[in-house]
Amino acid sequence: MRRPAGARGASVLRGAPVRRSLAVQPGLLLAGIGLWAFGVSQIDRQAIGPYGVLASANAWFFLGLAALLAGMVAELSRSRPRAWLLGAFLVALIVAIHTTVPLLYGGTPEYAWVYKHVGVAQAFGQYHRVTDTSNIYQEWPALFTTVASISSLGNAGPLSFAAWGPVAFELADGLLLLGIFRLLTGDRRLPYLAVLLYEGLIAWVGQDYLSPQAFGYLLWLAIMAIVIRWLLAPTPAHCRWRFVNTAREFLLRGRPTPADASTAMRWIALALVAVIYFAIVAAHQLTPYMALLGVAALVVLGLVWRGWLVLGLLAVIAIGFLAPRYGLITSQFGGVFSGGDVFENASGSQGILHKAAELRTGEVVHVLAAAMWLGAAVAIALRWRSLGRVALPAVLAFSPFVVLGVQSYGGEAIYRVFLFSAPWCALLIAELIAELRGTLRPLVSALVCAAALVAGLQGLYGPTAVYAFTPPELAASLWLYGHAPPGSLLILPADNFPGLEAANYAAYDFQIMPADPQNGASFLDEGSLGDVEQWIDSLGHPSAYVVFSQSMDNYASYFGYPKGYDQLAKAVAADSAWRVVYRNADVVIYRVTLG
Amino acid sequence: MTVRSPALRQPRTRTGLTAWAGIAASVAAVALLAVPGRAPNLAGAFLLASVPVGAAVMCWVDSGEGLVQAGLTLVLSLAVTAIVTAIMIWLTVWQPRALFAFAVIGVVSCAARLVRGGRPCCAERR
Repeated sequence: MRRPAGARGASVLRGAPVRRSLAVQPGLLLAGIGLWAFGVSQIDRQAIGPYGVLASANAWFFLGLAALLAGMVAELSRSRPRAWLLGAFLVALIVAIHTTVPLLYGGTPEYAWVYKHVGVAQAFGQYHRVTDTSNIYQEWPALFTTVASISSLGNAGPLSFAAWGPVAFELADGLLLLGIFRLLTGDRRLPYLAVLLYEGLIAWVGQDYLSPQAFGYLLWLAIMAIVIRWLLAPTPAHCRWRFVNTAREFLLRGRPTPADASTAMRWIALALVAVIYFAIVAAHQLTPYMALLGVAALVVLGLVWRGWLVLGLLAVIAIGFLAPRYGLITSQFGGVFSGGDVFENASGSQGILHKAAELRTGEVVHVLAAAMWLGAAVAIALRWRSLGRVALPAVLAFSPFVVLGVQSYGGEAIYRVFLFSAPWCALLIAELIAELRGTLRPLVSALVCAAALVAGLQGLYGPTAVYAFTPPELAASLWLYGHAPPGSLLILPADNFPGLEAANYAAYDFQIMPADPQNGASFLDEGSLGDVEQWIDSLGHPSAYVVFSQSMDNYASYFGYPKGYDQLAKAVAADSAWRVVYRNADVVIYRVTLG
Repeated sequence: MTVRSPALRQPRTRTGLTAWAGIAASVAAVALLAVPGRAPNLAGAFLLASVPVGAAVMCWVDSGEGLVQAGLTLVLSLAVTAIVTAIMIWLTVWQPRALFAFAVIGVVSCAARLVRGGRPCCAERR
């Protein structure tokens, strides 16, 4: 049937704004990616100072991130948001956040400790067995053997892909979290908003580089997905103690009915959990207990089908693996129950010395962490009449704190607590935001996510000039392992250089000068060349290779330690006993013969 | 095609998609590993560690949520790869090429799922 011309015109006029709005968000996605990429290409690596990438970035970089954030919030505010577009925004944001530094530094892996992980994987690939039973990484080998097998099959060393670990882990984490949040809520927007918020919140915590803990975290998310999908009990089991039943009744009031599952499927799910959990147990020392805490909290609430059996099974796997290796844990962390001082365990890395830039960045992430937990607590408190609606995320958000009662994990426990708590806090906060009406919702969404993103990025990018390494620095490290004879003494004046990445790393005597309180003993004054030479002599080698690099300079000026680093660098350059054996744009390696 | 292969005609079910993805990834991984060149080899190695085994399991199990289905496929593959390679190191029988068995397992299980069709394993009570 033909329509009148006027009607057709009216339809076109009505449709135009709709089509425009449909095209705005995809346009923002493309513009955001383009602006960010152009912005990154215009950042001068040399100009990155102690306040990090954000302080040195150009307007294009910020415009790109702002376009991605604005586009995603705009799409979330539509009555029927397009899932594919929201997913594309999330992927773009994760890629932008976690590839900026690798792109700026030519694909060189960030953080000195990543190179230790690379070395262990290289060792497995070359020697095909555990070569050092006193090395904690070799005793928890699952991630390293996986990397070694991929490296071997792919004919490419781990250094060729280690830099992209953070983006890969974050994409995988985001996939699972989105799935978990969709299982937990019927709202189409909420999971995307929660993951967006999560990515900002956890950006700073730096636990996603190529490491056993990043691998264990991903696997833990899968366990949570399985538990939430198949292992939640429809009604809590009756307990013989009345107060437990009363407490459960109060805490679970208004709880949504979990997804149904057949008994056979529950047993299969339990088997899958056991397999994944064993991989976690064989990969990392702390993650199994973080995972166990979460499951235990759910079991205590009576939320898990055959909960005590599930908990018992996981505990047997964890303890069975730990028992023969407990001596190593005792020697490195003082045992599983190394200390019950919650405040000390929560204080983070010990001995960190705060200078202006490091202090400011530290304050930003402390505020972010406090705001996250406060926001989650408020979200729970506002639902006190029907706590069951938030019981599951609330329990998972705050159960990780228990670990602070038993372990400091070398000062890292608080970061793991934050990481394991963050997904559920993000969900709780996102639920609060999603309940706002009218223009308030997109406005608050944009403000909260932008604040989390800026603070998280400052935490992530703040120390970039310190922790990121240039290709010449990596080249120098590889030269050292290629040319220094096995058994040589390798010395770093500051603990910030790519090292131990060679398969035969254990064949070298690798030493850090004891002049940095952040590493424990710090009796040496590097400003005194005589003292330094005496210390080197005391190590009992006829000669030593000593490395000075740009990232060590940055480290020393960022933290204010090691003491006397600058004087040492100048003194050895003028001393004929210190012979330059390698030099490039960012590194000088000396060989010194003493005694 | 027999009458017992409805999944072949219903590729858009989650488990059907997982099965097709498992077969495609297994074949692609082997092909990429067979091609000379570091980039395709590395892509093939990652694919082999990340998809086939998980797909072999998840093509029988419907999570009810596509993203969870994909995530569990990935994680199960990585977990099994981690366990198998760790056992190789512990037993000092390092043979990374044995991971090609993952592709075989993936293809056989996923093909069986497609040919057999029907409802996923242990589906919920209705």
